[in-house]
Amino acid sequence: MSNEKQKTGSVLVVGGGIGGMQAASDLSEAGFRVYLVEEGPAIGGRMSQLDKTFPTNDCAMCIMGPRLVEVGNSLNIKLLTNSEITRVEGYPGNFKVEVLRHPRYVNEERCTGCGTCTEACLTRNRPYFEAVEPPVRLDPKDEERVTGIINTYQAKKEYLLAILQDVQAEYNYLPEDVLRYIANRLNLPVSSAYSLATYYTAFSLTPKGRHIINICLGTACHVRGVDRIVERLERDLSISCGETTQDLAFTLEGVRCLGCCSLSPVMTINGKTYGNLTQDGASKIIERIWKEDQ
Amino acid sequence: MKIQGIDDLKRIREDGRKKLLPPEGKIVVGMATCGLATGSGDVFSALCEEREKQGLKMIVGKTGCLGFCQVEPTVEVRTSQGERNIYQAMTPEKVASLVAELTSGNMPSKGLLGRITEDGQTEIGFYSKQNRLVSANCGLIDPEGIEEYIATGGYAALYSVISGMTPEQVIEEIRVSGLRGRGGGGFPTGRKWETTRQAPGEPRYVICNADEGDPGAYMDRSLLEGNPHSVLEGMIIGAYAIGSSEGYVYVRNEYPLAVKNVNIAVEQARGYGLLGRDIMGSGFDFDVKVVRGGGAFVCGEETALIASIEGKIGEPRPKYIFPAEKGLWDRPTNLNNVETWANVPLIIEKGADWYTKIGTKNSKGTKIFSLVGKINNTGLIEVPMGITLREIIFDIGGGIPNKRKFKAVQTGGPSGGCITEKHLDLPVDFDELTKVGSMMGSGGMIVMDDRTCMVDMARYFMGFLKEESCGKCVPCREGVVRIYEILSDICAGKGKPADIELLGELSAVIKKAALCGLGNTAPNPILSTIRYFQDEYEAHIKDKKCPAGVCKELTTFTINAEACTGCMLCAKHCPTEAIAGEKKKPHIIDQVKCIKCGVCFDSCKFNAVEIR
Ligand SMILES: Cc1cc2nc3c(=O)[nH]c(=O)nc-3n(C[C@H](O)[C@H](O)[C@H](O)COP(=O)(O)O)c2cc1C
Ligand code: FES
Repeated sequence: MSNEKQKTGSVLVVGGGIGGMQAASDLSEAGFRVYLVEEGPAIGGRMSQLDKTFPTNDCAMCIMGPRLVEVGNSLNIKLLTNSEITRVEGYPGNFKVEVLRHPRYVNEERCTGCGTCTEACLTRNRPYFEAVEPPVRLDPKDEERVTGIINTYQAKKEYLLAILQDVQAEYNYLPEDVLRYIANRLNLPVSSAYSLATYYTAFSLTPKGRHIINICLGTACHVRGVDRIVERLERDLSISCGETTQDLAFTLEGVRCLGCCSLSPVMTINGKTYGNLTQDGASKIIERIWKEDQ
Repeated sequence: MKIQGIDDLKRIREDGRKKLLPPEGKIVVGMATCGLATGSGDVFSALCEEREKQGLKMIVGKTGCLGFCQVEPTVEVRTSQGERNIYQAMTPEKVASLVAELTSGNMPSKGLLGRITEDGQTEIGFYSKQNRLVSANCGLIDPEGIEEYIATGGYAALYSVISGMTPEQVIEEIRVSGLRGRGGGGFPTGRKWETTRQAPGEPRYVICNADEGDPGAYMDRSLLEGNPHSVLEGMIIGAYAIGSSEGYVYVRNEYPLAVKNVNIAVEQARGYGLLGRDIMGSGFDFDVKVVRGGGAFVCGEETALIASIEGKIGEPRPKYIFPAEKGLWDRPTNLNNVETWANVPLIIEKGADWYTKIGTKNSKGTKIFSLVGKINNTGLIEVPMGITLREIIFDIGGGIPNKRKFKAVQTGGPSGGCITEKHLDLPVDFDELTKVGSMMGSGGMIVMDDRTCMVDMARYFMGFLKEESCGKCVPCREGVVRIYEILSDICAGKGKPADIELLGELSAVIKKAALCGLGNTAPNPILSTIRYFQDEYEAHIKDKKCPAGVCKELTTFTINAEACTGCMLCAKHCPTEAIAGEKKKPHIIDQVKCIKCGVCFDSCKFNAVEIR
């Protein structure tokens, strides 16, 4: 019974996600003093990144908004963001917790949360992680190649996709500095070039092999047993689908329909189409190309 | 030269006719992607060489795909009167004797698939039940030569529109014809045009959707490769009707030849003043840009496609407002499928009344299907709406190879479903297919026999959709993955009895809650396989057996000692050396080494390898 007497009457909630927020506001309503500790700079957690929630497709923000306000307004909740728990001691009902608050570099008393600083920030939305964007320099040969491509599209923003396709064809992949250079030239944030480059399957951020094998995983080819052929090629080349061999000779990629379904199973190697494949046949084609390469 | 009026058009038509039917006769080689894949490029150069060597007068030329891809490479010998002799499965070796006979004035009979007479009659079984209207010129004309297209009556429809019809009349004609979109949805084309025309905002855009994402369908590729001008002509007519001056053709990057041919066609049309300013001297301006896709299935969806043209990532948006009102750059935009556009010149030329006589009550005209999978005659077929599946699969397709049993046909791609033997007499049109839980889609017909596992098929489609989901909405992004995991478990023999019910429940939610058509229709492949093949699911879950012998974890390959003749063929082919045995003695498969690749089964000539 002695423990009972020593209960502190306050609660510490760890993590300011949707669960943490709900717990904190329920507890505060029940009359407890709540400390809500969140590692990140703001509460909201994963849900604040979602558009809709599964399975009911409810709007995430609509669920979360009221909780955010409640937690922010509640006089019973002390928000500790940018904070980390370093030590916990004690027993149920009477814990002592040490919280390390990281600096925010903003005077919290005076900040109104207007958001102007984020817009002006130089390092926001950056896919590659360094502090300040240095002006991108390519070596003269690369610069000429890339400038040539950009100029065929009059350096217009809306042709970004086409420009990247041409660069991909020219280099076999999208080198990071070229991607940056293009973004600079088109006056776009690198993030928008990067988001295209990662969204479309036509692009690769790492160098591809000299021979690109596109094997069709479409329905017609699936029905005619392409899976076993893929497995065979994977074994032969000792890579999995989507990878490049170490000597950069072959890249094995699955595509979904090459439009030659009548000849299924089908693959193309550097644009040349091979139809009616069998496990042995496909393997022999690769072997022949490999030998010719040597 | 710019075409200014009917006289210019007639003059080019005469020129083209000489190219299409030269007095010396003509040899044409099918050089679409499917032809090239089987080696028609070599046949073409061999032909040119032999012609020089033997001094043959006939002209050698290129064309697109005749549709009968099974017998490619095909070579057609065309007499000056227009009789077409089709030779199948040509090789460079066979060319010399063909040219030799032709030089001596005979029509060779070796390798002849059949004849097509001047007026289109033919005894070739594959074509007998077809009605090739939209694809008539594919495999006839040189896709790189606009004159040949004009010779077959091309751009006459455009002339009659521009010279004598108001935009309203054009839309009315299309509306009366009952043309429905061939891209999958089957939305009435006339109505779409009208909405776009009436939507406020300038400029308006027209787009041709050639992002043929449906795996197993390739009619759009074939049309663009074999007859790109018909699509362009349709677009120009549409643009005139809608009041647009700018158009886009959005082609998949995986179709390099289609991209090339469309670009050539656009250049040629510009050269003749059929695109650009003041088309045919009428004061109407319209031009087309060709955009290559980036390789994402969802970019076939109209709002995603529009985003992609704008240079953004191809994510769809909710259609509170349709693209017809706010589409590309927030302007009214009309988007149609390749085949839809290609139907337009036909309707204008021959009239809506003629068109409405073909097809069923609510689905007019013809539809091109790609007949692929486990079927004898694979290829592209164009049939009138309302033809039965039985006619397609057995009369045109020639049945199932190796005397196996027909099991199902999958239509509608990843959004469609399976149709079983029970429904073989179903007339194929938009509404009937929907009734049995499938859909028309873009026209892929994948035929399956008893060696196809339906659970594996459902899993395949879920795997496809899982990869292709753009990730914007949660039901599709998370739900499809969950379904895929459950199906994978079932295929691996870890299925639980409650799984079927769970799949149904998940499907219902995704169907209702997803943002775009990809998610809304994603559960169809499972729902339809559960509907018709529940026993197969149960065999996987309860008996841990895969009746078709596809799911690796549930099958073992064994050799029937009585049937095995000890020919050692399987042992030679086995990639892991799992098969042991001496010559003329029955072989044995080492189950530890066996990776279940099935090579032994496929290579055995005596049906001695059994699947259990
Ligand atoms: C996920 C998804 C993929 C689609 N893919 C294609 C496609 O590859 N080709 C196509 O023409 N339409 C496709 N569509 C249909 C288009 O959104 C659109 O309805 C169609 O192009 C309209 O043209 P239509 O009226 O001529 O049929 C797709 C739709 C969805 C939801
Ligand atoms: S399904 Fe493989 S080429 Fe179409």
